[in-house]
Amino acid sequence: MPGETLALQAGGPRTGDESTAPVEMMDPVRLPPIAVDTRGAEVEAFARETGFTKPIDFVPLTFPFRWLTLPAIRPVIKQMIGGDDFLPVHEGQSFEYQKRLRKDAHYLMGLEFTREAKPPRLIIRGAISTPDGEPCLTMETILRIVPVTQGTP
Amino acid sequence: MSDLGTEGWPKVGEELKSQTFGPFGPDALARYALVSGDDNPLHLDPEIAKLAGLDAPPLHGMLMMSHFEPALMTWIASWRRDVKIAKLSGKFLRPVLAGQAITISGKIVRSSLEPQPHLILRLMAHGAGRDLAILAEATLLPRGA
Repeated sequence: MPGETLALQAGGPRTGDESTAPVEMMDPVRLPPIAVDTRGAEVEAFARETGFTKPIDFVPLTFPFRWLTLPAIRPVIKQMIGGDDFLPVHEGQSFEYQKRLRKDAHYLMGLEFTREAKPPRLIIRGAISTPDGEPCLTMETILRIVPVTQGTP
Repeated sequence: MSDLGTEGWPKVGEELKSQTFGPFGPDALARYALVSGDDNPLHLDPEIAKLAGLDAPPLHGMLMMSHFEPALMTWIASWRRDVKIAKLSGKFLRPVLAGQAITISGKIVRSSLEPQPHLILRLMAHGAGRDLAILAEATLLPRGA
């Protein structure tokens, strides 16, 4: 799945030359669920860099955020913020767990993207479940969109 | 860990001993970029940081936020309570620049045993100069709830 750009559903941006044009306002865009996983070596490397000083047998709470950087997701975010002339600035983040993730397990992640106009923001809501459909967590990412020439706040 | 009970249950207003992580130099940011996938050059390239009006690359917001969990685990261990972190949310307020450490502190803002035991903690991550980088909140519930 990584490396492949997913088709957007309902109300998504246009393709072709328009694909990176700034978007004023649009309906929420939903991606079909993609497969994600918690490979042990990746979880342990992440934990080492985020303040865990001993080996852990669980998945850090914030680990799912890294799935937003997957090749299947990243181009969608870039497209939704308006392309290279705009920079996403992380304003807020939340994780709400129903069930803790396990190491070396497979999950499904569904994403919904909502673009707000004033002020310009992209809100990404994710829902992660087991392959059997058991909900594990929801997360929300709020990105403020700033023109590159304006710099970050 | 003991079972939940009223004795020793954290009380509203109780402050949690601050914990310092870092400092996070360029190597630490590069390693975090690798393990998180967040290789935004703003965090890695001083020249791009300058274009954004910063004296040095800022720490990734999620690098800082991710340190709340080990800090919470230390506090939870000191309470000897079998609780889990059910919710963590935060707002990124000010950048912390490469080379700086962060200090995480917290306070109990809600503590209840009824109808379901839970704790709500206000969490803060400060950079150098006591700039408030992240204002966050965590909800703790009994494990198994």
